[in-house]
Amino acid sequence: MSSAAARELRPVEDEVLREVERFLYWEARLLDERRFHDWLELFSDDAHYWMPVRRERSLSAGTAEFADESGLAFFDEDKESLRSRVQRLDTGMAWAEEPPSRTRHLVTNIEVFQGDSPSQVLVFANFQVYRTRLETKQDFFLGSREDTLRKESGSWKIARRKILIDQTVLSADNLSIFF
Amino acid sequence: MTNGLKHLVDFERGLINRRIFSDPEIYRLELERIFARCWLYLGHESQFHEPGDFFTTYMGEDPVLVCLGPDRQIRALLNVCRHRGNRVCRLDQGNAKDFTCSYHGWTYSNEGKLVGVPYHKEYYFEELDKEKWGLIPVPRIEQYKGLIFGCLDAQAPPLVRYLGDMAWYLDLLVDRRDGGAELLEGAHKWVINANWKFAAENFVGDMYHAGMTHAAAVKSGFAGSQTKYSAGGAGFQISVANGHGIGVRWIEGGDAAVGSPSPEVAAYLKEMLPEMERRLGPVRAKMMSPVHGSVFPNFSFLNGSHTIRVWHPKGPEKIEVWAWCLVDRNAPPEVKAAIRLHYLRRFSPGGTWEQDDSDNWIQATETSRGATTRRFPLNYQMGRGHERIQEGLPGRVGDFFSENNQRNFYRRWAELLTGERRDGEEK
Repeated sequence: MSSAAARELRPVEDEVLREVERFLYWEARLLDERRFHDWLELFSDDAHYWMPVRRERSLSAGTAEFADESGLAFFDEDKESLRSRVQRLDTGMAWAEEPPSRTRHLVTNIEVFQGDSPSQVLVFANFQVYRTRLETKQDFFLGSREDTLRKESGSWKIARRKILIDQTVLSADNLSIFF
Repeated sequence: MTNGLKHLVDFERGLINRRIFSDPEIYRLELERIFARCWLYLGHESQFHEPGDFFTTYMGEDPVLVCLGPDRQIRALLNVCRHRGNRVCRLDQGNAKDFTCSYHGWTYSNEGKLVGVPYHKEYYFEELDKEKWGLIPVPRIEQYKGLIFGCLDAQAPPLVRYLGDMAWYLDLLVDRRDGGAELLEGAHKWVINANWKFAAENFVGDMYHAGMTHAAAVKSGFAGSQTKYSAGGAGFQISVANGHGIGVRWIEGGDAAVGSPSPEVAAYLKEMLPEMERRLGPVRAKMMSPVHGSVFPNFSFLNGSHTIRVWHPKGPEKIEVWAWCLVDRNAPPEVKAAIRLHYLRRFSPGGTWEQDDSDNWIQATETSRGATTRRFPLNYQMGRGHERIQEGLPGRVGDFFSENNQRNFYRRWAELLTGERRDGEEK
C-alpha cells in the first residue's frame, strides 16, 4: 500500500528521529493555535498534500481500498491551493470556521526512515484530531500519515504528505480543518 | 395525521411549517410515501465494467445492491437477507457472482436468486421453496443517458415521464458531448446532522445564498473567473412538474466559459461549444456556465462544479451525502484532471464552498424543534407571483434569485405526503 513498502526501509539515527518528532509536534501546535500562515511555511514550494477517499472493500482488494491519484480525494493540494485555503479563513466570512473550530492534533507512532536522497526522510505517523465547535459539536478524525520531509537551508519542510483517513463515510459534516 | 398534513405547506402564501424538518412521524411517512414511491438515483452506468460488478446504495433507508448480471442486465435488489435481515453485502463495490449472508450462510446469485441454503436437505427437509425466497427485487430500474434510477413502486410511471421536462435540462450534464458522461473513480461520503430537505431545496433553487454563505470562497479566488454571485445578470430558476428544478445562468452570445474553473477547462468549454450547440441546440448552449438543480426528491447536481450527489435520509435529522464527480467521457485526460481538482477543492466535504453550507442546514434543523419557534412558519416568498412562462424554456420560470423552485419542491412534497397525487401525474 505504501510507496515505501516495496523497498527496504533504513531507520535514521536517533538524533534525526528526535528532530523530526520535534518538528511534527511543533506543526501540531501551530495548527491547534490557529497559526495557519506559520504552518504554511513548513511546506516546501513543491509540496503535495493528499488525502484520498477510502472505500469498504473486501480484504483481497488490497490497495484498491483507496482511490488512486486520478480518483476522488478529500484533499489534493499544492502549496498555492493550501495558501488560498488559509487566505480564505482570513476573510472572516468562512462560516465553517467562524467561530473557529477548537482542535487538538495528537501525533503518535512516529517512525522515521532514510529517504530517496540524503536530504530527505520518510516519516510514518498516526494521528488523532479532535475538533469541537458551536456548543456541543464534536468530531474525531483518526488515520495515518506518510510524509516526505526535506531539509532546506537547515530546516525541515514537508515535501509530500499522504493522509490515510480511517473512515469511509466521514462522520463529520465538513473538513474545514487541516491534518 | 394525514388531515393535519394539509396545512404544513402553504404553497399560495409561501409558508412552511418547521415541523416537517424534525418530526419523526413525518419522516416515517416520507420513507413510505416519497422514498418508496419516487424514482431515486442509484448510480451511473460507468460504475459497471464487467459482469458481476456491483455497488451498494440506499433507497430511503432500504439498503440496495445494484449488480451487473451475467446477462449484462443491471438489477437492483434489496440488500437484505430474507432469513433474518442481515445485509448480504457489506462492501461499497466489487465483483461477485453471488453473495453469502454472513449470519447463516444463505447464498444469493447476483440476479437475486436464492441458490444456497445450508442444511437445505438435512434440516429443511427440502421443504423450503428457494424460488420464493430470493432477494427482494427493486421492481423498476431504468436509465436516463447513463444515470441509473430505481423505483420501489411497481405501479410508478416510466422514468422519462417522472423526469418530464427535467430530462431536457439534465442533458446539460449527461448529453452535451458525443459519448455522454462518466464518473471519476470514488465517491465522497459524509454525514450532516440536518434534515435532508434543507439540502435538496438548497440545490433545487437557492442561488440567493451563494453570495453570503460562500462569501469567503468568492473573495479568496475559489469562484470561477468572472462569476458573479450578485443578483444582477441574467439567470433563471426553473421549476418543472413533479417537484424538480434547476437554476441556470444565461449567457447571451457571450463567453461560453464564464465561471469555468481553470484556463484548461475554459479553453475546453470554448472548444466544445459548437458540439454542444449541435447536440442540444442554441437555447441550451446558453446554459453552459454553472447550473444547480435537484431531481425530486434527493438527487442533486452542480454542473459547473461537475458534481452529482444523493442526500440519503438517515432519520429526520441526519443526512448521509454521497457525491461524485461527473465529466464528459470524451474530455481529454488533462481536462478531466483539472475538473477533478476544481470539484474536490470546492464541493467535497473539505471543499472551500461545500464546508460553509452544512452549519446552516444543521442549525435550521435544530431550531425546528423549539415549541415556540415551531409556531412561526418559514418564509419561502421570494419572487412569489413573479413566475412566468417563457418561450423556449420548459417549466415555470422565475428570476435567478427566486424561491420559485423551492415552492414547487414543497408543493410536490406535500402532494405525495398527503397522498393527493400519484407519481408522474401532470399538474
